[in-house]
Amino acid sequence: MRKILCSIVILAFPFFILILSHLAYSQANLPADEIIRRSQAAFYYPGTDMKAKVLMKLVTKDGKERIRDLTMLRKNLDKEGGEQRYFIYFYKPPDVKDMTFMVWKYPGKDDDRWLFIPAINLVKRIAANDKRSSFVGSDFSYEDVSGRGAEEDNHSILKEEAFNGKDTYVIKSVPKDEGSVDYSYKVSWIDKESFIPLKEEYYDKRGELYKVFTADEVKEIQDFPTATKRTMKNVQSSHRTEVTFEEVGYNNGIGDEIFSERYLRNPPQKWIR
Amino acid sequence: MRRRIVEFSVSHPKRVIFFMLFITFLFGTQLPKIKTDTDPKHMLPATSPVRQYNDQVEEWFGLHADVMVLGIRNDEGIFNPGTLKRIEQVTEEILKIQGVIARDVIGFSTVDDVESSGDILEAHPLLSKIPETKEEIEAFKKHVLGNPLLVGRLISKDGKTTAVYIPIEKTANGKEIADQIKRIIIKEEGPEKFYLAGDPVVRDTFGVEMFKQMGFFSPVSGMVMFVVLFLMFRNRTLVFANMAVAMMSIIWSMGLFIGLGVPVHIMSSMSPVFLMAISTDTVHIFNEFYFRFKELGRKREALFETMNAVSTPVLYSDLTTAAGFASLAIGHIIPVRIFGLLVAFGTIVILLMSFTFVPAVMALMKEENLKKITFKEDIKTSRASAILFKIGELSLYKRKAVVLVGLFLLILSIFGIKQIKINNNMVTWFKKNSEVRIADQILNENLGGTSTLYLVTTSSKEDVMKEPEVLLYIESLQGYLEKQPLVGKTLSVADYVKRVNRVLHQDEAKYEVIPESREAIAQYMFLFSMAAKPRDLDNLVDYPYEKANIIVQLKTWDAVDTEKLIEDLKSYFAKHPLPGVELKPAGIAYFNMVWNHEVLIGMLEGFILSSILVLFLLILDYKSLKWGIISFIPLFFTIILIYGFTGFVGKDFDMPISVLSTLSLGMAIDFAIHFVSRFKQRLKETSNIEDALLWTIARPGKGIIRNAILFAVGFSPMIFAALTPYITVGFFMMAIMILSAVTTIIYLPALIYLFQRWLIKGTSHNQNKGFGGVGK
Repeated sequence: MRKILCSIVILAFPFFILILSHLAYSQANLPADEIIRRSQAAFYYPGTDMKAKVLMKLVTKDGKERIRDLTMLRKNLDKEGGEQRYFIYFYKPPDVKDMTFMVWKYPGKDDDRWLFIPAINLVKRIAANDKRSSFVGSDFSYEDVSGRGAEEDNHSILKEEAFNGKDTYVIKSVPKDEGSVDYSYKVSWIDKESFIPLKEEYYDKRGELYKVFTADEVKEIQDFPTATKRTMKNVQSSHRTEVTFEEVGYNNGIGDEIFSERYLRNPPQKWIR
Repeated sequence: MRRRIVEFSVSHPKRVIFFMLFITFLFGTQLPKIKTDTDPKHMLPATSPVRQYNDQVEEWFGLHADVMVLGIRNDEGIFNPGTLKRIEQVTEEILKIQGVIARDVIGFSTVDDVESSGDILEAHPLLSKIPETKEEIEAFKKHVLGNPLLVGRLISKDGKTTAVYIPIEKTANGKEIADQIKRIIIKEEGPEKFYLAGDPVVRDTFGVEMFKQMGFFSPVSGMVMFVVLFLMFRNRTLVFANMAVAMMSIIWSMGLFIGLGVPVHIMSSMSPVFLMAISTDTVHIFNEFYFRFKELGRKREALFETMNAVSTPVLYSDLTTAAGFASLAIGHIIPVRIFGLLVAFGTIVILLMSFTFVPAVMALMKEENLKKITFKEDIKTSRASAILFKIGELSLYKRKAVVLVGLFLLILSIFGIKQIKINNNMVTWFKKNSEVRIADQILNENLGGTSTLYLVTTSSKEDVMKEPEVLLYIESLQGYLEKQPLVGKTLSVADYVKRVNRVLHQDEAKYEVIPESREAIAQYMFLFSMAAKPRDLDNLVDYPYEKANIIVQLKTWDAVDTEKLIEDLKSYFAKHPLPGVELKPAGIAYFNMVWNHEVLIGMLEGFILSSILVLFLLILDYKSLKWGIISFIPLFFTIILIYGFTGFVGKDFDMPISVLSTLSLGMAIDFAIHFVSRFKQRLKETSNIEDALLWTIARPGKGIIRNAILFAVGFSPMIFAALTPYITVGFFMMAIMILSAVTTIIYLPALIYLFQRWLIKGTSHNQNKGFGGVGK
């Protein structure tokens, strides 16, 4: 019996090695598309839902600031890469307090967006045909906030290198539809372990560096690596936007009903508080 | 001292010539290091307060100092798929040009348009999809022409002209970018016409053109001058001597400045023409030499006597010239300073050559040749001298009439001067039919205007610019502005707030008003920043909402018009004040206006300094205050007459003229110096005022006329230049030299004869005393 067991182990060993090495191999040689897909999942889809207080600071070249403080609720309706809903409540600046904003995000199709303007008690739908336009005047575009479909670009691995002490994939993404974006290509440094993009460089149509994104602080929150401090800098105008995520929580059990016009007008106190 | 230098040069001519050529060679070795700087922006001192304030305004509102305007016009209207497609293509190509600030280019395909379609608020580039069908095109046209944010700025009322506003980097050269844009335009085949205008295009094209034209006109001027010189003296050696003096002064001065690492600015590029003209001062030496040689027949003695006679006037006339140019150095504009010092140094080189190189070359001339060419050179046989003699008689015997005519002209000129308009307009530095000027004109006729003024409403508290009453005030101020004939279009944060209000209310026209609550205004602006590019608002209101910017497009580049508008605004603001808010102008139009003033004041200071220096040198020369004043009169007369004329023909007193006035003083006085010096010498010899005056008119007078003609001839080719400041320089210099020669020959003798008792105590007077029986 022991002999049989022994021989099984011995016989199985090469297969075991084979499987192991295959696993290791595939890990090391992920195709670029797969890296981006995983990165999108890690960055935009962790948990079934998320709640965070987002503090945005818009800083001009000469140091003048504007503040946007908001609560962001996100819920995944689908698996990663699928449909999502966002609810945003603004605290600051004080005169826009109680403004709310909602996004229904669909893969492969324009989002639906609604904005509530309390001063005239009006909910307005906003067309979303330009995902590259600025989000609340910041250097982040809508797409930077809610993600860009991995299939919209052609990705290629440029190299693998250490970045800020982390092993990263350096990936170049060239948009398939050149006319739909304000840049010609993007280079991302993606952490091999967490798949969080640590840095992104956007190059303009002339091939000159234009915007730089950095994840300045990444924390594990409920086992999800989360970029709690981020900066997007427009290197051409020297304008930058600094973002801090506070009170981040995943899997809160936010109900679907929150993402509706009713709640836009009457923000759910439980969540936005 | 002067005498010993001349003696040495005449005794060792070859050594002196070789030595001078060697020094010239040394200066010449510096020339290949030449650095040129065609950028007229560098004329502006970086530290002037208006410039600093302007820079700040640009920073507050994310504005750009240099913006080009590309006008696209289709006489059939631009609303057709072909034209719209080409607008899109051209814009796309322009965005790729190095130096263009692509993110802030504003045109049909880059400007954000916020509109309401159904219940959806839509923001997208105005021309995001080219309309194809007739219905689509009509709808698009109606939409564009119905948007007050666009009409006058991006589309003309008649729908035939559109514009692309192209900001460029401060370090970029407008002319180079303009050329690249032109290459893009040429590729487009269609019925559209393209017009490129705006400050950087005008300025930088001017800079490049100025250099080009100088490269052409310097040699042409030189050639014409030397041909005329040859016709006057019929001797190649003399022409060579003069040419060599001109070249050496150019090489020494250029070599020195290049060697010191000073870049050659557009202004300095004019210095060769001036130095060539100034070098014709040696004509007085040749002129006298021909007469003396004819009298004496021996070259060496004639040469010494000539130098003896003319050395003092040559010395002082060159010194006054140098002083006139050096006076430019007190102005604020660096290239003008460098130009002044460069020509002043060159003039001193010419002075040095007059006592060394020129006599040395003359010492090498063959006596037989001289005999042949000086055959007619005698007051009695020379035709020119004969005519001058007649003129002299007229001047002396009809002295009262001459002086009265002069006074009459002077009074007339004062009326002319009163009409002088101090103004500056860079666009008019190009000729009427030039590309730059046509582009500017077409754009000003059809769109809001190519020149920009910013009116910054400033408060000291945050969020003031969100208050309804402040926006209402801005709105009414805009209403006032747009009633002014030269204001084409105004744009402010109020316009955007009104637009958003309307769009949010189903595009109903009655909602095109400022909302009543501050919250609504703040939320509209916030909404705008969620829908469109933030820069559209950033250009109009600063980050803390303390300041707002009203962009005023002007249809003119005239500094006087800006000045009047700002005066009017001041009184408007005084009548309708807004507590806690100040109104301050900025922008290129205001900047040009203030700069214009600074330049003129600088030049006025230079003018006064130069007058004082010249008068001082005159008094030093004659050791007499009275004679100093008397010889200053022809210059004074000339200047007044020319300004009077400038006023009568309605030419603006602009920057080129103000610079010319200062430097011309030192040159225009030269003739009077020659005249008075030689007259005083002659008076000592003959003791008869009348004879001495007639002799001076006929003999040194011939030299003066020769010099004036050469001078005028040297500047005459500039009249054919493509840039109007050169034409001005050409005319102005010709007029000033000829007029000052004529006043020196006609007016000055009449004055001297009339005031002889006051001027000349002693010698000559004693002679007449016996007969006239008057005086002390």
